[in-house]
Parts: sequence; C-alpha cells; structure tokens
Amino acid sequence: MDAWHFLAQGFQVALAPNNLLWALVGAMFGTAVGVLPGIGPAVAIALLLPLTAKLDPSGALIMFAGIYYGAMFGGSTTSILLNTPGESATIVTALEGNQMAKRGRAGAALGTSAIGSFVAGTLATVLLTMLAPQVIDIAIKFGPPEYFALMMLAFTTVSAVLGESTLRGMVALLIGLAIGLVGIENQSGQARYVFGIPQLADGIEVVTIAVGLFAVGETLYVASKLNRVTETMERIRGSVFMTLDDWRRSWKPWLRGTLIGFPFGAMPAGGAEIPTFLSYATEKKLSDNADEFGKGAIEGVAGPEAANNAAATGTMVPLLTLGLPTSATAAILLVAFQQYGLQPGPLLFETNAALVWGLIASFYVGNVMLLVLNLPLIGLWVKLLAIPRPLLYAAILVLATMGVYGMRQSAFDVFLLYVIGCLGFLMRRYSFPTAPVIVGMILGPLAEEQLRRSLAISEGSPQIFFTRPLAASILALTLALLVGPWIWKQLNKKRASVPAVA
Amino acid sequence: MMRGQIALSGAVCVVGLLVLTGAFALPDQAGYSTVGPAVVPKIVGMALIAVGAMLIHEVMRGGFRNHDEKAERELGMDWVAFARISAGIVLYGGLIEHAGFVVSSWVLFLCTAKGFGCNRWLRNGGIALVMAIVIYLIFNRGLGLNLPAGVLKGLM
Repeated sequence: MDAWHFLAQGFQVALAPNNLLWALVGAMFGTAVGVLPGIGPAVAIALLLPLTAKLDPSGALIMFAGIYYGAMFGGSTTSILLNTPGESATIVTALEGNQMAKRGRAGAALGTSAIGSFVAGTLATVLLTMLAPQVIDIAIKFGPPEYFALMMLAFTTVSAVLGESTLRGMVALLIGLAIGLVGIENQSGQARYVFGIPQLADGIEVVTIAVGLFAVGETLYVASKLNRVTETMERIRGSVFMTLDDWRRSWKPWLRGTLIGFPFGAMPAGGAEIPTFLSYATEKKLSDNADEFGKGAIEGVAGPEAANNAAATGTMVPLLTLGLPTSATAAILLVAFQQYGLQPGPLLFETNAALVWGLIASFYVGNVMLLVLNLPLIGLWVKLLAIPRPLLYAAILVLATMGVYGMRQSAFDVFLLYVIGCLGFLMRRYSFPTAPVIVGMILGPLAEEQLRRSLAISEGSPQIFFTRPLAASILALTLALLVGPWIWKQLNKKRASVPAVA
Repeated sequence: MMRGQIALSGAVCVVGLLVLTGAFALPDQAGYSTVGPAVVPKIVGMALIAVGAMLIHEVMRGGFRNHDEKAERELGMDWVAFARISAGIVLYGGLIEHAGFVVSSWVLFLCTAKGFGCNRWLRNGGIALVMAIVIYLIFNRGLGLNLPAGVLKGLM
C-alpha cells in the first residue's frame, strides 16, 4: 500500500472547505479547553458526541481530533503562566516553563512550546503516515485471540505500568470494567446489573462517566480543597518568536522529544507523562546549561512539550489501525467512530480509506492552524485565564449537566452524574488515575466479545491463547509488565540483604 | 489515622462482592455459548475483591504508596463548599423536568458560584440567566434538541 498516494487523496478530503472549517473549529475549541482549567479534551469531545447525529463522519471526526491535539497546545499556556498543569502531561512544562515566566521569559517559553508542539505534531504525523500501513499489513492477519491479547496488554499498560501505583491503576481499570458491564449484554440479550431501572438497561453512557469523573469531580475538588490557594498569573514578557539563541537551544530538544514521545504513544502504552519526564531528564543530561534546569531552562520546556505532542499523535496509531484506545480521549474518539457504526482497524482503511486518510491529512492541516492560533494570537487565549474561578466552574457545570441531560432527556442521568462526580472527587483525593476507568468501560465489552469469539473458534478450549505464537507472546509480555516490576524488586531486596548478612 | 484510606479500600472490596453476587444471580447459558454472560462479571468481581484486599494490605503497611496524604490533609476540606455544589447538581436533577432548563441551570450556576465563595448574586444571576437562555435558544431552535421549557413554556 502506498501511503503517500492515499495521503494525497486524504488531503482532498481534509482541504474541502467544510472540513477545513471543522478542523479550525476543533483547533480553536481544543486550544480553549486546553487553556481553561477544569475542562479537558475528553470532556469536550464527550459533550459534543451528540453532534454525531447531525454531522457527517469526516467533519465530526476531524473536529474531534482537532480538539484532542489542540488541547495539547493550549495546556502548555496554562502551565507556563499559572504553574497549574492543565493535564498530567504538562507537569514538567509547569515546572520549568513557569520558572522561565517568573524570570521574564514567558514569551520564549510559550514560543518554544508552541513551535515545538508544531514540529513534534507534524513529524509524528509523518511517522504515523509511514507506520500505519505497516501495522495494518500485520494486523490484517490478527484473529480474535490476538485482539484479545492486545486488549489485555492495553489494559495493563494504561492502568498499571504508567502511573504512580500499579494497584490503584488496576482498581480504576476494574471500576471501569464493572461500569462497562451494566446493561444488556449483546450476545445473549441478558440484562446485567440493571436493578430494574430502565435507564440502566441501555448501559451507562460514556458522556456521564467522562463528564462526572473529570468535570464534576474536578469542580468539587477545586472548590473544597484548592479555592483558598490563590494563583498568580505571569505576564507575557519577551517575544513569542524567540531570539536566535532560543532557536539554537530549542531545535534539538524538539527532535529528541519527538523521538521519545512518539513510540510511547504508538505502542499500546498510552500516557504522555512518562515521555515528558524522560525527555526532561535527557535534556538535562545533554545540556551545556544543566545548572539552569529547575530555574527556567528553555531545553526543559522544548523537549517535554514536543514529547507530549508526539505521544498524543502516536496514540492515533493503535487507535486507527487496531481500534485500541490507550488514553481517555482516544477512548472517547473510539466511541465517536462507533456512533457512526465504524470500527477502527485494518478493515476501516479498506472500506473507508477516504475517511481515515482524510483524518490523518487533517492532522497536518490542524497543526499549521494551531501554530497560527498559538503564536500571533496567544494574547487572546490568555484572556480566558482572566475569567474568575466561580464563573468559570459554574459555567462548566451548566454545560456539563446540559450535555448529560440532553443526551436522552433523563433526570436519572443527572443524579448518576453527581454520584460519578463524587467518585471522581475521591479518586483525585486519594491519587487514583481516572483515565483507566474510561478505557476500561469502553474496551471492556470489546474484550469480552473477542474472548467469546476466540473460545468459539477453539470450541471452548483456552489453549488457543497459548498455541498461537503471537497471542501467546503478547499475553506473556502483559504478564511480565504486570508482575515483572514486583519480582525485580523482590530480587533486588534479596540481593541487598545477602551482603548485609555476610 | 488512615481511616479514609481503609474505608476506601474496604469499599472496593464491597463493590467487588456486589459484582460477584450479582454475577452468580445471572443465568450461565454455557450451553450454546462458550462464554456465558456471567463469566466476565465473575472475573471482574473477584479481581475487585483481590485489589481491594491488596489496598488494605498497603494501608496497613504505612498507607497508599506514592500518595502524599500529608499534603492532601494540609489542603483542608471545605465541606460547606462541597455541599453547596452538591446541592446545585441534585437540585438540577430534581428541577429539570418540572421547572425547565433555564430555571434549573440558573439555580445550578448560582449554587456553584456560591460554592466558590462568590457573593455577587446580582452579577452572577444576570450572567447565569443570559447563558441559560442563549444555550436554550441555540439548542432548541438551532440544533433541534429538546431542552425542557418548564415554567417558562409560554415565554420561550
């Protein structure tokens, strides 16, 4: 398959006037939700899911994707000026970028993160373009056991490997899986955990969970725990177009950040935090100005910002080629595909080539739009940060409840939203990751389906997971990732205690 | 001293137990399908109990790992703010089908703003009213969605 040929066709879709408009709307909307605290891309896309009933698939998906990577651009602005990371992937930016801002270099920090995001986003899209057909060539041979194994791998990496605690990640994932069980099971028609409530028979909507965990949970947390903390916003000083010296110090970190970030997203690993930390550590090691790190080194902003954007684009590889979401936002994008009856995967590249390649082409277009939106127009977005907190969160809750109620005109969903909001509050309070809940609830039913199909092929024998080499090796890798770190620690403990005895 | 963490870990076990008992109540039609509807629920239920127990074990040995309980405590907890916002959402759920979208959104907006300690009722009330009416008009007139008019039925 000639990727560039398909990409050229994709550009015809992406450059159609109405799709350009949707990309712009998505990029602007994404930047706004990225800049604003309390609302992120997952919530924004979830709230807009009802639009799928009105829009054609390319328009809607191009807009949603624009929101996804637009939020990555916007998030860094808040981190740099306010020192409150909008998303976990911008923690490092908040550290180093805010230090730059405090020293009057906010313009350069914003510049290097916007241009770095553009460079990384574009290069990562090139990598996506080249990699997608390769993955598809392999994926076309996958059967249900391989998909099941991949889903187990995704569950493990999303919840256990890339977080503060394997255990709390697993709890979050299992809560998500439990939520995904509610409703009528599609194979047998059996109602599960419905408790006679008709609204539960249709299953719990992802909108309610995403909005509850992220928007309502966050609002409750900020109001009851952070409201006394006053934030000071740094002013933009210095040009966002940077000095020649800033360019000289930034370009290598951009490229290295891209190379670190993309594989993390592209392997079914998800999570953009780890690559940002890795990139930060790398830049600190390689820099001639290592003593500046922690006090506002531009390399420490350029590298991690490129890494998180490349990782975000990288998550499109497993999502588009395998139908495997590895972040909360990717999971909701998968739901958007499902609303149109589309299932991302190798088949989609054949049956809906124009749509998929149009979407990929729109990433190139969107990145250019975002560069323009975030450099000359940065002052506009900064104004959003001046919205007083009470009004901002009040407006977020009005939109959140409207989205949840409006979906199927049910007051029950509003009460459920509150319960999920309280769960989100508790999870934040006790440092549980929330993304695995979303991934679990979306991917859980799909994994159950693949398990059923696998066992139907083998007539009930679980041996099928051990005799097919690829499925077996993916499952072995999953197991290694899950218990490996623990075994490693036990071994080290032993090794450390032996000389102590001797 | 780790009461919150213990309670939360216990709650995970209880949820697991509920999922598991619910799974046993499901008919297992293994006859014509290799994986009946109860299989995955049983696995999820058992796994939840297991991770809940492991959490309790972790708390006993000094608390959740990589979680800064001390910093969380130092932040304090403003239950009044929590209650005000909670009231706003619950009232919204109770009001939406009777009083309509504009009124319930207005109440939710004011409750939330107050929850964040803002006392500028007149300004907030005005902003809330304009916002609710604009959203109502956009969605009902423009997008054909059906947000309930409620008590303002004749006016809108």
